[in-house]
Amino acid sequence: MKCHVPGPNVKVLGRTVHVLARFGDELYLESLPDCVLLKTLNASESAYAMIKFNNSFFSYFKYNFYSTEDNESLKCKISMKSALNAFKSPTHMDKQVENLEIKLDPDACKLIFQFKCKHGIVKTHYVSILDCKATQAVYTKDQVPNRIITSQRLLSETLGNFQSSDDQVTIEATNQSLILRNYVDANIELTKIIRTQINLKASEFDSYTVGVDTTITFTLKEFRALLAFAEALSLPIQLQFETTGQPVVFIVHNGTTFEAHFVMATSKPDALTQTQASSQNNSRTDYKRKEVNNSVGPMKKKPHLDIDISKCLDEDSHLFNYIDIPEETDLRPEKNGTTEANAAEEDNLQEYMDCDIPGSPTSRTKIKSVFKRCFESTFDPRSIQGVKLVENSDSD
Amino acid sequence: MDDGTSQYYFTASMDSGKTLHSLLKAIQFQESAVFCAMSEGLKLTVEEGKCVQASAYVPADNFTEYHVRDDVDVIFKISIAVLTECLNIFGASEESSLKMYYRSEGSPLLLVLQPQSVHTVMTDCEIATQTADCLLELRDEDATEVAKLVLKASAFLGLLADLERSCDVMELHLSPDHPNVSIVTYGMQDRSCIEVPKSSDMMQSFSCEQPVTLKYQLPHIRLIMKALAISSKVVLRCSSNGLLLLQLKLEKDEQRQMFSEFHIVPLLDDY
Repeated sequence: MKCHVPGPNVKVLGRTVHVLARFGDELYLESLPDCVLLKTLNASESAYAMIKFNNSFFSYFKYNFYSTEDNESLKCKISMKSALNAFKSPTHMDKQVENLEIKLDPDACKLIFQFKCKHGIVKTHYVSILDCKATQAVYTKDQVPNRIITSQRLLSETLGNFQSSDDQVTIEATNQSLILRNYVDANIELTKIIRTQINLKASEFDSYTVGVDTTITFTLKEFRALLAFAEALSLPIQLQFETTGQPVVFIVHNGTTFEAHFVMATSKPDALTQTQASSQNNSRTDYKRKEVNNSVGPMKKKPHLDIDISKCLDEDSHLFNYIDIPEETDLRPEKNGTTEANAAEEDNLQEYMDCDIPGSPTSRTKIKSVFKRCFESTFDPRSIQGVKLVENSDSD
Repeated sequence: MDDGTSQYYFTASMDSGKTLHSLLKAIQFQESAVFCAMSEGLKLTVEEGKCVQASAYVPADNFTEYHVRDDVDVIFKISIAVLTECLNIFGASEESSLKMYYRSEGSPLLLVLQPQSVHTVMTDCEIATQTADCLLELRDEDATEVAKLVLKASAFLGLLADLERSCDVMELHLSPDHPNVSIVTYGMQDRSCIEVPKSSDMMQSFSCEQPVTLKYQLPHIRLIMKALAISSKVVLRCSSNGLLLLQLKLEKDEQRQMFSEFHIVPLLDDY
């Protein structure tokens, strides 16, 4: 594959690499006959980002530059550090760079970025290819019940109210309004933290469809990064999500030349949020015990929620499928065929895979709550039947 | 000021100490410098691990008054950190006039600073001096110059800033053929190469007869970046023994000029 990126688009590409660097440590580059895909996946496989550049993004695009066979897609994995090194400062890249040439030879071990800059300077980066695998996340978009389109400013202004130490955000979506609040770890003492909650009315958004009321929690680091990306390019954000445990998908696109998908796993809201939502006479310990017993959750308004989560969590599934396609293979298995086709024509093809995505682990809270009751001041060990204190401690 | 100052080893005065301050700041990568006043001008030299020698040179015509006794060597060691701090004693926004006195060997360097906006304020600084250590004589008279380049400082700074941070070694290839200058760095797994042809706008002159490849420690090369940031032009000279000499002309609107100079020792091939 060989392509040329004109100066102004180099800046966009640079920003893309920088937002991807906030998601993962490795960059997957995949070239299809009519587009280039950049993908990344974080180490815990809870966040994924894919950005597709159509061939109109490039001033020159030749897919089969090195080989005449055009039926294999070219792919490579490089380290994100190398990519960042090539795109060091995207802010003034458009002023310096006149043209960028990217060359990917399937037989070579280096990916070549050649920047033709002002003053006749040529900067060439020979980046080592670590692997020839591709990654493809399985996620649902377009068919989900909750779809929101918003300007990037509304969300970034909202996030500006959160503390920089907050690492997760909970979104509670109803068909009236969207509530954002920071996630509070159950281990943190409640008197020492700031709770932030922002209520956005449905009318504030460009488009607001919430078919099923739901509450999702996901990480702020990646959310902030993708907002900064959308802000730098001043493009609106599409938010698509289903329910807790299902990934939330953010889409940023400019219609013609590129489309970015940011997928993040969602988890349950924090205990405090859930307790607030439950009826008043349910004390916190009651709730915890219930959760451990795996009975129906306290969120009576949304009885389906906990069942969904436990179902999702019970299934031993992966958010992402690695597809190993041997270089020379031509026969595409049925499943691989679909995923590749997905990547190629994501715009019109409605992908609907098995909804087998687990939420990010919340086990730490869970395990703690198993024993937590023992440390409550109201706990009376004698009240538990069949339990003897100090049994045979002195037998010999 | 002829009231007995003629016996002083060295006296100088200047309308604004600001440029001098920024020049000294640019070579301030070591605690102390060797201060040497000659009849042609003032020179402060800093050395880094016997590999890099940086000097700031202020020709005598930059001073409104400049007097050095020609029967003695005016050379001493001084803390460059303290000297720059004293020059900036009224803050960066204030222009202040400067007078320097050095009575005799072993006596402190006296600075008198007066801000231009407030005439009633005056600062008197006394900076202790030490006997100077001997400086490295890096220039080898037998070595011939193999390449000379004149570059725009800001563009050259841009190139250096773009080099990978994690890298230790920089290879400089100079050749009479295209591309005339190429800078190669080796990262963890990657290789980066910057090529500049002599036709480039940033290259004001280029002379090189034979292709030459030289290796330098990148941290050493980075030491010149502060000086590049305040300079307008840089002359790069390579001698046959690999020693790199960079001469930088300070950006200044007036006719008078200040310079900084860096000698950088090459890395020798270990194979």
